[in-house]
Amino acid sequence: MTDYNKPIPDPDPYTSGPFWEGAKEGKLMLPRCNDCNRVHWYPRILCPFCYSRSISWFEASGEGTLYSFAVQQRAFAPGWAEEGPYVTCFIDLNEGDRMFGVLLDVDVSKPEDIFAKIGSKVSIEFVKANDDVHVPYWKLAS
Amino acid sequence: MTNPSMAAAIVGAAESDEIGFALSEKGTTNTQLHIEAISNVCKQVGISPSEIEGVFSAGFTPQIAEYLHIRPKYIDGTAVGGSSFELHVHHALAAIAAGVIDVALVSHGESGRSARKNQGRGTGGRGGGDPWAPGAAFSGGPYGGWGAPFNYAHAMTRHLHQWGSTKEDFAQIAVSARDWATLNPRAVMHSKETDPNGGPITVQDVLDSRLIAWPLSLLDVCLVTDHGGAVLIVSAEKAHSFKTPPVWIAGAGESMGHWDMLEMDDLTLTSAVNSGKTAYQMAGMGPGEMELGMIYDSFTVTVGITVEALGLAPRGGFMELFEGGKSGPGGSGMPINTNGGGLSFSHSGMYGMMLLVEAYRQLSGTAEDGVNGIAGKQTSAQTAIVNGTGGSLSTTGTLVLVADQ
Ligand SMILES: [Zn+2]
Repeated sequence: MTDYNKPIPDPDPYTSGPFWEGAKEGKLMLPRCNDCNRVHWYPRILCPFCYSRSISWFEASGEGTLYSFAVQQRAFAPGWAEEGPYVTCFIDLNEGDRMFGVLLDVDVSKPEDIFAKIGSKVSIEFVKANDDVHVPYWKLAS
Repeated sequence: MTNPSMAAAIVGAAESDEIGFALSEKGTTNTQLHIEAISNVCKQVGISPSEIEGVFSAGFTPQIAEYLHIRPKYIDGTAVGGSSFELHVHHALAAIAAGVIDVALVSHGESGRSARKNQGRGTGGRGGGDPWAPGAAFSGGPYGGWGAPFNYAHAMTRHLHQWGSTKEDFAQIAVSARDWATLNPRAVMHSKETDPNGGPITVQDVLDSRLIAWPLSLLDVCLVTDHGGAVLIVSAEKAHSFKTPPVWIAGAGESMGHWDMLEMDDLTLTSAVNSGKTAYQMAGMGPGEMELGMIYDSFTVTVGITVEALGLAPRGGFMELFEGGKSGPGGSGMPINTNGGGLSFSHSGMYGMMLLVEAYRQLSGTAEDGVNGIAGKQTSAQTAIVNGTGGSLSTTGTLVLVADQ
C-alpha cells in the first residue's frame, strides 16, 4: 500500500528501532528487561518495573486479546477524517502489557457484536505506510 | 509530621461575570475571565488583591500577578488538566500550614468556547494530551486520536464489560446533572429556552443523542464553554476576619496513575483511590460521612468510575447512587454535582474550579442567591467530597470540605 493517507509515525531509532525494523518484515518485536524478565510497552530506555537499563528485543507472537474498544464516529486527522466510523482498541499482548491500535474488518454499525468479542483472540497486521514505516493494526482471529 | 487538616479555610468563591455560551460576539479571553473572577471574589470577601500572598493557577500565575500588581511570595503554576485546582487547594493548605503564607488565591480563566469559535477547535486543557508526546507514536497519534472523547470511550466500554453496567446506568448521571441545572439560571443547559438540549432530559434522550464515540453519546459528554472562577484560602487564624463564612479544608490528597490511557492497568479505576484515601485520612473521616459530592464530570463515565474509586459506591456499583434520581434535587441519596456539572452547567476545558465554587456555596449556605441558584438548589450538606480528574483519567485531586460550626 503506497497510498497510505493517514498520519505516519516518525520512528525513534534510539528507543524503538527494532520495533520498526521488525514491522517491515511483519514481525512484532517487543522490549524485555534482562534483569526482571518483564515485557513493557511503549518502548523505553529503561525498564519501568525494576529500572534496569539492560533491555533486549525479541520476536513476539503478534497475538493478544481484545481488552476494550470504541467506535470513533468522527476524526480530524488526515485520512481518518474521511474514513467514516472506525474501531480503536486496546490489546492485551500474550507476552504482557498492552498496545493501542485500530481493529480492522469489524462491522462498525454493530458495536454490540464487537462488545461480545472482548477477551477474544486478535492478531497483529502491519500496513505499509512508506519504505521505513509499517503501522500496526489488529484483526480478530477467525 | 503534623496533620494540616483544618489549618486553612476557603473564605470566598466566585465566577467570572459571564460564563457559558452567551458571550459577546468577539468572545472572551483567558485573562479577562481570570481577572473578573478574582475581582468578584475579593469584593465578596472584603479583601484587596494586594493582600494576596500566594497565587495558584494552571500555568497563568505570572500574568495574573502582573495584572493585579500582586507581589507574591508563593507561586504555583501546577497544570495537570481539569483537576489542577483541587491540587492547588492542597498546595495552598500545605503552604499555609507550614506558615509560609496566610492568604492564597486559586484562579482559573479559560475561553474554551471562544477559542473554538475563533480558532477552530479549542486547544485548552482538554484530556488526551499531545498526540506526539513520548510514547504517543504508539498511542492515538497514528490512529486519528483527537481528544478526550476519543480516549474516554474505551473506559466506558470496559466498565460495561467488566462490571455489567449499562448505557442506561450512565445516562442517569447526565439526567441528574440536567435536573440540577434547572435550578441554576447560569447553567448553559438550564432550560429548553437556554438551549434546545436544556433540562430536563430523560434517559431515553441520552441514549437517542448522536453518537460521538460508541458507547459515548453527545449527552454523555461535557460542554465546551467560557468561564472563570476564583477562590480565596486563608489560615485558620484569619478565617473569621472577613465578610463571608469559612468552609474548612479537612482533608486533601492528590495522585496520578499515568499520562496516556495506554498506561492504565485497569481502565475502570483511577488514582482517585489514592488521592481519596489520603484526603479521608487527613480529615479523619470516611466516605460514609460525605453529604455532598462534587465529582468531575467530563463524561458520565468519569463520574461512575470516580465515585467507585472514592468508596462512595462499591466497585462496579456506581448506579446505586443515581438510580431513580437519588442524587438529583430532592433525591433520597447523596446530592451530586448540584450546579449541573460540566455536563450541564459549564465546562471550559479545565472544569475543576467550578467544583470548588459550588462546594463553597453549598457548605456556606449561599447556593440559592437567585443568580447562581434558585429555590431547591441549596442542600443541607455539612460535609463535601470534591474530586477533580485531569488528563485522560490521569491526575486526581480530592478534598474533604466541612462547613463552619
Ligand atoms: Zn526490569
